[in-house]
Amino acid sequence: MLWVDYVFTGTLAMLAGLDRVALLQFMISRPIVAAPLAGWVMGNPLVGLEVGALLELLWLGRLPVGASIPPDDTQVAIGATVLALSMDPLLGMNGMPVVILCLLTAIPLGKFGQLFDRLARHANGLLLKRNSALASGSPAQLERLHLLGLINFALASLATFAVILLVGTLFLYNFAPLLITAVREAGLSLQYSFTLVGAAVLLGLINVTRGTSLFCAAFVGTLLVLWLR
Amino acid sequence: MMLSRKSEGTMSQPVRLLLLKTFVRSFLLQTSWNFERLQNLGFLFMILPGLRIIYGSRIPEEVLERHKDYFNTHPYFAPMVAGATLRMEATLAAGEDPQVDISSFKKMVMAPFAAIGDSLFWGGVRPLAAIIALFMAAQGSLWAPLVFLALFNLPHLVCRGGGLLLGYFGGLRAIESIQKFHLPDLSVRCKEGSIILLGVMCAYLAHKGCNLQDIPSCWGFIILPVALLFARFARQGVSSMFLILVTTTSLLALALVF
Repeated sequence: MLWVDYVFTGTLAMLAGLDRVALLQFMISRPIVAAPLAGWVMGNPLVGLEVGALLELLWLGRLPVGASIPPDDTQVAIGATVLALSMDPLLGMNGMPVVILCLLTAIPLGKFGQLFDRLARHANGLLLKRNSALASGSPAQLERLHLLGLINFALASLATFAVILLVGTLFLYNFAPLLITAVREAGLSLQYSFTLVGAAVLLGLINVTRGTSLFCAAFVGTLLVLWLR
Repeated sequence: MMLSRKSEGTMSQPVRLLLLKTFVRSFLLQTSWNFERLQNLGFLFMILPGLRIIYGSRIPEEVLERHKDYFNTHPYFAPMVAGATLRMEATLAAGEDPQVDISSFKKMVMAPFAAIGDSLFWGGVRPLAAIIALFMAAQGSLWAPLVFLALFNLPHLVCRGGGLLLGYFGGLRAIESIQKFHLPDLSVRCKEGSIILLGVMCAYLAHKGCNLQDIPSCWGFIILPVALLFARFARQGVSSMFLILVTTTSLLALALVF
């Protein structure tokens, strides 16, 4: 992987990270968008699409409400895509088993995103406490102070991305050759387990009466039609 | 440029400018999000150009002070609150009574709008758009991210832009106007649609998986009780990270053993 790729994916990680809370909220930060974008930056959007599709449902039900901070699925998506695409030249591995292995490595590291996000929000609070502009009431100063928050959130995104990339690379470099056989053996079931767990968690968290009945009816009806046709 | 009483309720140039600047700045509402006062500075940042147009370059201290208070609502509904607030500020600046205290108005509307927005966008539109996009992703279509963005951002931008206009021109009546849209019902419909699509998607993947393994699709029914069990775990607070790590580790162990 060239250093230019790191610069571009780092920039993407920062911009997509800002989209989560601090800027726009166009949902470029969702795995289904961020991962294919990272793949596109690195020349293979399809790998990104695979990562995004596997990851999308996992934390979709976690609502970013008030002070609740979900794990950073944006950086997990981008980090896993970058890891999956850098494994090929590094270890000569590619395909779905590598995507799954990289995702399994990146997912626990998403917890760091929660930590860094919390730190960014605390840093914003400190910024406001320490600065006298809030008390003095100069509007121009207030505007500058507000925009400084972008730096805190951008740094949090970059830090998460860096942790996923560094720890992930170290882990995969040492353990991928040992684990890849098991991942290949488990194959399809492993791939579908992501969607199944994601769908089940979403079903559990979407708060609507008759939700389970609707899900069961849709599942049974569709599978019957597909089986019997 | 100050806003004259005459131009306040019409689409005059200062009003257009006020609305445009507020709309653009609404995308930066949460930039300084903090645990103490959440979106307070973001809200002030969003309405500052409007306040400058209403009061001129010297915004009275008490006006700034009332917008430094704790504020938290759904980011997509914040422009509506901002629009109504600016309308009330313009009324106050013209020496008239805005009927309700501006700070009280903000406190009164932020929680209901937060609840509606969270339920409609985070709980309804986003899962629905994501599941539709996942159907396309399952076919390997690179249109999936674009479809997701289009499906999600169309209502998002309508809510931001329309909300700002409704808030500014409707003022206090905006709250009554928004009730006509039956947004809580819409969010329930979106959630129900998401769940139905989720069921269809799981069944489709189960069928596809069975085909790839060369076994009859009826074996796919095994997925249903597993999904319901996991949904129950999720409802009881078990994290999705724990569930996915346990499931994949078990599958890896099984693959190694057999």
